[in-house]
Amino acid sequence: MAAVHLSGINKRFGETHVIRGVDIDIDDGMFCVLVGPSGCGKSTLLRMVAGLEAIDEGEISIGGSVVNDRPPKQRDIAMVFQNYALYPHMTVRENMSFALDLAKRPKAEIEQQVKRAADILGLVPYLDRYPRQLSGGQRQRVAMGRAIVRDPQVFLFDEPLSNLDAKLRVQMRAEIRELHQRLKATSIYVTHDQTEAMTMADKIVVLKEGVVEQAGGPLQLYDRPANTFVAGFIGSPAMNLMAGVARASGGAMQVDLGHGSSLPLPADACADDGQAVLYGVRPEHFTPGASGLPVEVVVVEPTGADTQLYCRFAGHEVVAAIRERAEYRTGDRIALMPDLRRSHLFDAASGRRLVA
Amino acid sequence: MEGTTTGREALSAALRKPAARRAKGPQSRRLWPFLLPSALVAFFILIYPLAYAFYLSLFNYYLDTGASTFVGFANYTALFADTRFWGALTRTIGIVLAAVGLEFCIGLAVAYGLYRLTFGVRGLNLLMFLPHIITPVVAALFLKWIFAGRWGLLDSLLASLGVFGPDWLGNPFWARVTVVLADAWQFTPFMILVLFAGLNTVDQSQIEAAQIDGASGRQILFRIMLPSISPIIAFVLTMRMMDAFRYFDTIYVLTGGGPGTATETLTMQTYALAFRLFQIGKASALGVVTLLIVLVFASIIVATVGRRKGHSR
Repeated sequence: MAAVHLSGINKRFGETHVIRGVDIDIDDGMFCVLVGPSGCGKSTLLRMVAGLEAIDEGEISIGGSVVNDRPPKQRDIAMVFQNYALYPHMTVRENMSFALDLAKRPKAEIEQQVKRAADILGLVPYLDRYPRQLSGGQRQRVAMGRAIVRDPQVFLFDEPLSNLDAKLRVQMRAEIRELHQRLKATSIYVTHDQTEAMTMADKIVVLKEGVVEQAGGPLQLYDRPANTFVAGFIGSPAMNLMAGVARASGGAMQVDLGHGSSLPLPADACADDGQAVLYGVRPEHFTPGASGLPVEVVVVEPTGADTQLYCRFAGHEVVAAIRERAEYRTGDRIALMPDLRRSHLFDAASGRRLVA
Repeated sequence: MEGTTTGREALSAALRKPAARRAKGPQSRRLWPFLLPSALVAFFILIYPLAYAFYLSLFNYYLDTGASTFVGFANYTALFADTRFWGALTRTIGIVLAAVGLEFCIGLAVAYGLYRLTFGVRGLNLLMFLPHIITPVVAALFLKWIFAGRWGLLDSLLASLGVFGPDWLGNPFWARVTVVLADAWQFTPFMILVLFAGLNTVDQSQIEAAQIDGASGRQILFRIMLPSISPIIAFVLTMRMMDAFRYFDTIYVLTGGGPGTATETLTMQTYALAFRLFQIGKASALGVVTLLIVLVFASIIVATVGRRKGHSR
């Protein structure tokens, strides 16, 4: 097991600057998820850790030693690819033993390692099958088995679940997480799915256009997003961001959202008089009541667990997720009160979080 | 749990299959007439000549006198008793194996080189394909100038280095070498092109996975890339093998089958039988035998190289 440190990483593909000065510290045994929209550079970053992509600037160290100039095979890593990258002409057993075979390990040891991994992943009945004779989930497991047998210092996952259907994805998510708890190996996991990031990670690194927007624990990112990008990216449905202006009135600061509606500042926020701001409220932090924002219900989406209300007020589109069973109909006029302790305030110009 | 589900799925799929085929039956029968035009063409240009050749091979038929008598399989037995046939057969097989083997090895090396090359591939590819574009007879004439004894390009070059080159076309051994080299010169580009295209179809992430697994470049080529393009290799080997068995034009121009019968292949012998000795029946028998031999070789290649483990055929 080993800690992984990335410092000052830069990467250019021709004119395009895809990774711009990224620093990430991943502790020993940590499950770190790199998340971001497509094209944010997360896969490139992972490939740089794997040694499949050259590093233009900066340093990557695994287990305390800089690996910049080491080829993939000398980095003691294992990688699970999005399309699994199983060798089609080899059986499951051959796929899993390939690396050990190349390393010329003794036959008995290879056999034992493969057996161990197959046991962990429930692949024992499939050892003599070829990849094409397996289902997507089983192939996924073989890909992980191939990584496990090598007992590497670091596991790398490149969107490993994106080729699976929704149900299997949830199941495999739990399996990978369980596997991590069992093996306690440092893992770096790339995904564009924020739910995967939230449910699996010890640490999430949110990337956008090759820059780290925020890094931290899942709840830290959820509770205290550093900027509007992270605020909008983490959480589903996305956080409501309403444009307004901060105004001092009667000693207290208020946010004027236009058309005569205003809200008090969130609990830990501060703003200057006249500053253009974005008022952030997660859908689940709205409560319908007597006071609050006067909105008109546009669409009602009951999901069973909660009811999502798509509302409109003073030019803003607002989504609220209501826990209580209540009958709402399109056209209803209701008041939504945000939970001030869990609301957020961002500077409209920079998008940065405004904290007292 | 997983096992039982897949087992059940496989079972239900197996049960479903015949039913599906039965349901498709009447519809596919209705579609038969659409095959008729192409079937007719295939019949007249493929089946009919083949059947006619076989029919002719059962006769003692002389082209000059037009005399024709039914002899059954006598042409075949005569052929198998003829040492010239066995000589031509071993020679042909030798030339085919040497030429196709050489073409494959060089083709693979160059294709892999091109695959690893990051720029200029297009231009190089085009240049290398040139020998393949030239008409075989023209190419052969050109090669004759190169391989001609003493005053030919190759011998002159060797002479300028102080080496007394062999008589490429006059010495039986070197004549065979020359014939092999000539074929390789013409057809290696085809091999390169197909193998290069094949190598490019290998999933990049498989190669990267192998890199991470610790495979060297050579191991990746031989243990990952080649097995995964084995159907393409089988295709190109079969094509070239069939072509090489028919190898005629270049030999005809270069050596005419000589010196003596040193480069007389099965097709050269067939030609000699039919148009020198006018023994059409015997020539037809040889043609049919050649076809069967090629068929055997093709099946061997497809069964060994083309067998793609883990892939349905």
